[in-house]
Amino acid sequence: MVVRPLVSIVDDDESVRESLPDLLAELGYAAETFASAEEFLASDCIDRTRCLILDMAMPGMSGPDLQRELTRRRRAIPIVYITAYGDDMVRPHLLARGATECLFKPFSDTALRDALSSACLGR
Amino acid sequence: MTDAVSMDTDARLETAIPNGAASLESILRTDELLDRPSRPPDYAKENSALVALVGALADHPATILQTLADKVLDVLQADSAGLSLLTRDGNRFYWAAIAGAWGPHIGGGTPRNFGPCGDVLDRNVPMLFTHWERRYPYLGTALPLAEEGLLVPFFVSGKSVGTIWAIAHNSRRKFDREDLRLLESMGRFASAAYQTVDSIEDLKSQITARERAETELRKLTDGLEGQVLLRTEELGRRNSELSEARARLAEEKFWLQRSEAFLSEAQRLSHTGSWHLNLRTGKVAWSQELAAILGPDAEQTKDSDPLFLQRIHPEDRATVAQARAAAFSEKKDFELEYRLLLPGGAIKHVHAVGHCLASEPDTEYIGAVLDITERKRAEEELRRSEAFLAQAQRLSRTGSFSWRVATDEITWSEQLYRIFEFDPQVPVTLASIRARVHPEDLHLVDHIVSWARGGIGDCEYEHRLQMPDGGVKYLHLRVHGVRDEQDRLEYIGAVQDVTQRRLSEQALDKAQTELAHMARVSSLGVLTASIAHEVNQPLAGIINNANTCMRMLAASPANIEGARETARRTIRDANRASDVVTRLRTLFGKKDVSAEPVDLNEIAQEVIALSLAQMQRNRVVLRTELGDGLPRITGDRVQLQQVILNLLLNASDAMSGIDDRPRTLVVRTVADTGGGAQLSVQDAGVGLEPQALGRLFEAFYTTKAGGMGIGLSVSRSIIERHHGRLWATPNDGPGATFSFSLPCTAEAAADGSPAFRIAAVTDAEHVMRSL
Repeated sequence: MVVRPLVSIVDDDESVRESLPDLLAELGYAAETFASAEEFLASDCIDRTRCLILDMAMPGMSGPDLQRELTRRRRAIPIVYITAYGDDMVRPHLLARGATECLFKPFSDTALRDALSSACLGR
Repeated sequence: MTDAVSMDTDARLETAIPNGAASLESILRTDELLDRPSRPPDYAKENSALVALVGALADHPATILQTLADKVLDVLQADSAGLSLLTRDGNRFYWAAIAGAWGPHIGGGTPRNFGPCGDVLDRNVPMLFTHWERRYPYLGTALPLAEEGLLVPFFVSGKSVGTIWAIAHNSRRKFDREDLRLLESMGRFASAAYQTVDSIEDLKSQITARERAETELRKLTDGLEGQVLLRTEELGRRNSELSEARARLAEEKFWLQRSEAFLSEAQRLSHTGSWHLNLRTGKVAWSQELAAILGPDAEQTKDSDPLFLQRIHPEDRATVAQARAAAFSEKKDFELEYRLLLPGGAIKHVHAVGHCLASEPDTEYIGAVLDITERKRAEEELRRSEAFLAQAQRLSRTGSFSWRVATDEITWSEQLYRIFEFDPQVPVTLASIRARVHPEDLHLVDHIVSWARGGIGDCEYEHRLQMPDGGVKYLHLRVHGVRDEQDRLEYIGAVQDVTQRRLSEQALDKAQTELAHMARVSSLGVLTASIAHEVNQPLAGIINNANTCMRMLAASPANIEGARETARRTIRDANRASDVVTRLRTLFGKKDVSAEPVDLNEIAQEVIALSLAQMQRNRVVLRTELGDGLPRITGDRVQLQQVILNLLLNASDAMSGIDDRPRTLVVRTVADTGGGAQLSVQDAGVGLEPQALGRLFEAFYTTKAGGMGIGLSVSRSIIERHHGRLWATPNDGPGATFSFSLPCTAEAAADGSPAFRIAAVTDAEHVMRSL
């Protein structure tokens, strides 16, 4: 059996945490969900995670905060940002900061698949 | 005087103050006199006595001394009274007249130094004695003895010549102060009587010789008598003429003195001194007031022209001297104003005139010097306070004016000329003022002027000026009506140039409006993002689940159970999205729409009142033409007012860049043909582009730089909810007209369409002005 690459999902929105793992499973990924950046940092999933689907705005640590923390810990995990604030200004900013992709909620399954592919294969 | 006393009898006693005789002090009671109770003065009796005496003196001079003695006895109610006179050699007194108990002693007497009479003359004062025989034995022979004797000296030509006396022979009668007074009074008469007696004595001795001489003379003068009579008559006439002339002179002198007194008083009151100068002699005369003007010391010194010149202020002296000299040389009048410098440093301003009285050989001048120091000071005060006022007006940019309504005579302060930029040399008229008034404010000014002509009152108003360079000034006026003493109407007013203030206010207002708009736009942006976030979250879940569901169903074998689960979650997320919308509606939703009877004119007037300040700031001239008899409509008063406000603000905004014509805005209401009511807002603004007409009421369509394009869209929604219609038409002239009509029976049924509910967001003024 092929070991599915682990995708960790960090989002404070429950709808996303509930719906994404099934979709990821359909797309051939294993998924772990975390309701906050702090929860993810406290978990043992960091080293196993091949790609991080990260909500941008969360209570407590934000997505970019987590990205900075991981950089500080020298954990170079590809990041796909997802955000409900459909701001065109945000995306190039995040990409420039090293994110693989930035998806605006709601996003299509194909957009997600493409983003994950480039994240897991491109590195 | 006749020595009637027997010298033989006296000779024996001439040296008789025996050893052991009582001392003079021991027989004196003079001190007691003043302490004794006194009867009140009896002037009537005194007077009648004196009158009787005077009568006696005229009719029976030979017996006057006896009459006097009788009267003293009577008036003093004494027991004896009489007169003792010094003989011519001064060695003796003889008793010239005696009345009462001592009457038989008449003709008797005492040596000068041996009786109380001598003491009285020695001391030259009235004296009261008791039992004088204890010192003067000679008087022991004069019976009855004297219990008390009161003696008063009398004089002729300052020389004492005798005494007048009264005696009480027993203690029944004690002399008092009143007795002394009466005796002194009669003593004064005694001196007159004495002289008469003296003359009588002389006459008696001379009369024989005179009679003889007169007989001789009469013989001589008989022939001359006629002439003498004539001369005497003439002399008498001359005398009477002379005395008449003297009387006239006296009267003239009296009047002259009076008029001099008047003149002097007038000079004092008017601070005017006068002078007289003789050029040839150099003699000068000052009035009292002139001396007073020249200083207190000048009143003490002799009038002198050099002193006068010396009193002139050094800075003026040469000029005055020169002017005077010039006038003197040409014998002309002169008039000068100069200062005096008085000793002590006081300065006086005087106005001096000189008038030449040319009369050969002397040239004389008379003149007046008027002290105008007070006037100068008052003038200076006035000038100072006027200068202060002018300065204050300049600093506060406030001018003042007065306007006499009947004559249209206008007085302006210096600052007002400056504000209006008028030439101060040109008289101000209502027409020239009117020419400066901003054309849009002319009607206001005309209205005020006609109001002011109509009757007295106060008012306060503002209007603008249109300056020749195109600039605009804002004036604030306060006007107060008064009536002068002749009941003529006059307005006085203060005019403040408030241009700076108004421009600052406008700038501030504009900045505030822009700031508020920015704040609203940015908060709206935040709001939008927040709504998007809230909705996007469940949408993301829905789409994820739906995609998963599709994939599970497409798999082979199809994962039905998984698909069912994701479909279930899809439904749940959709419900969640719906909840978000409901929450938003609760958050921003308007209270339920009410349906009440509404008077369109009334709500229009309320909105106009609310927005008037804003209109004035935008210099919009707002006119209303509200129709009568509008049908009553039913609807939501607040929502309809939102629509009217939106239309008014749009109209105002449309004219904000218009400066070549009045920013006229007309709000008009009419009953429309369909039985409903119609309101229109007509502006003179930029107007409507033909292609814009179709899109005007679309949401998010805007022609305004800061606008969001929601106002008209919302407005139309509201009107349509009221079953009415909102439309726009271009004007024949500049600008556009927005109108709505409402049916009179409009049922404001809230149909609850979400589009409407969201559009009709809260707080009318704030949101709608920001959109």
